[in-house]
Amino acid sequence: MAAGPTVKQLLATYPGKIRIVIKNYPYKYRDFARIAAEASLAAREQGKYWEMHDILLSRSPKLDRASLIAYAEELGLNVKDFTEAIDSGRHAAEIDRDIKLAESVDLYNTPTFYINDRQVIGERPFAYFKKIIDQILHQTGG
Amino acid sequence: MIRKIILLTALLLLFATAQAAETSTSIPIGDSPTLGPEDAPITIIEFIDFQ
Repeated sequence: MAAGPTVKQLLATYPGKIRIVIKNYPYKYRDFARIAAEASLAAREQGKYWEMHDILLSRSPKLDRASLIAYAEELGLNVKDFTEAIDSGRHAAEIDRDIKLAESVDLYNTPTFYINDRQVIGERPFAYFKKIIDQILHQTGG
Repeated sequence: MIRKIILLTALLLLFATAQAAETSTSIPIGDSPTLGPEDAPITIIEFIDFQ
């Protein structure tokens, strides 16, 4: 699971003050978690990472191979190249690196957030994030 | 007295550092997908599973 709408709301509330970074942590026992991560990075190659990211979140759990290819088509991606990327696991090394990173900090839940190094585990309401962010901005004078 | 205060301060500092180390983890950004300005005061790193 991921927390798309909350993150979107944060970006809109603090324009220019927040940078989002995504690390993939597909749970190995979910059928389409890994191929969905591949799809997001395949779309990134074609300059449409965030568009694909949004579609994946809004259509989840419909993330089987055929659906992913349909989303690529919907976004106007080069479908042949996209399909090759997800079928061959072109971004497997990147995904594995993220998984290793997650495991190295004993992380077992998604979503998990780090807000300037402060860990937040699981989905939380907007107000929860806002409180932490306001605190940090207050401390740093931002 | 002064030695006591110094010792106490040192102990407090040590404790504070240990606490900080426990609650703060630095995650390298690397070449992961990002959105927003690089010099933003807030960086949110999200570990995501789309399913």
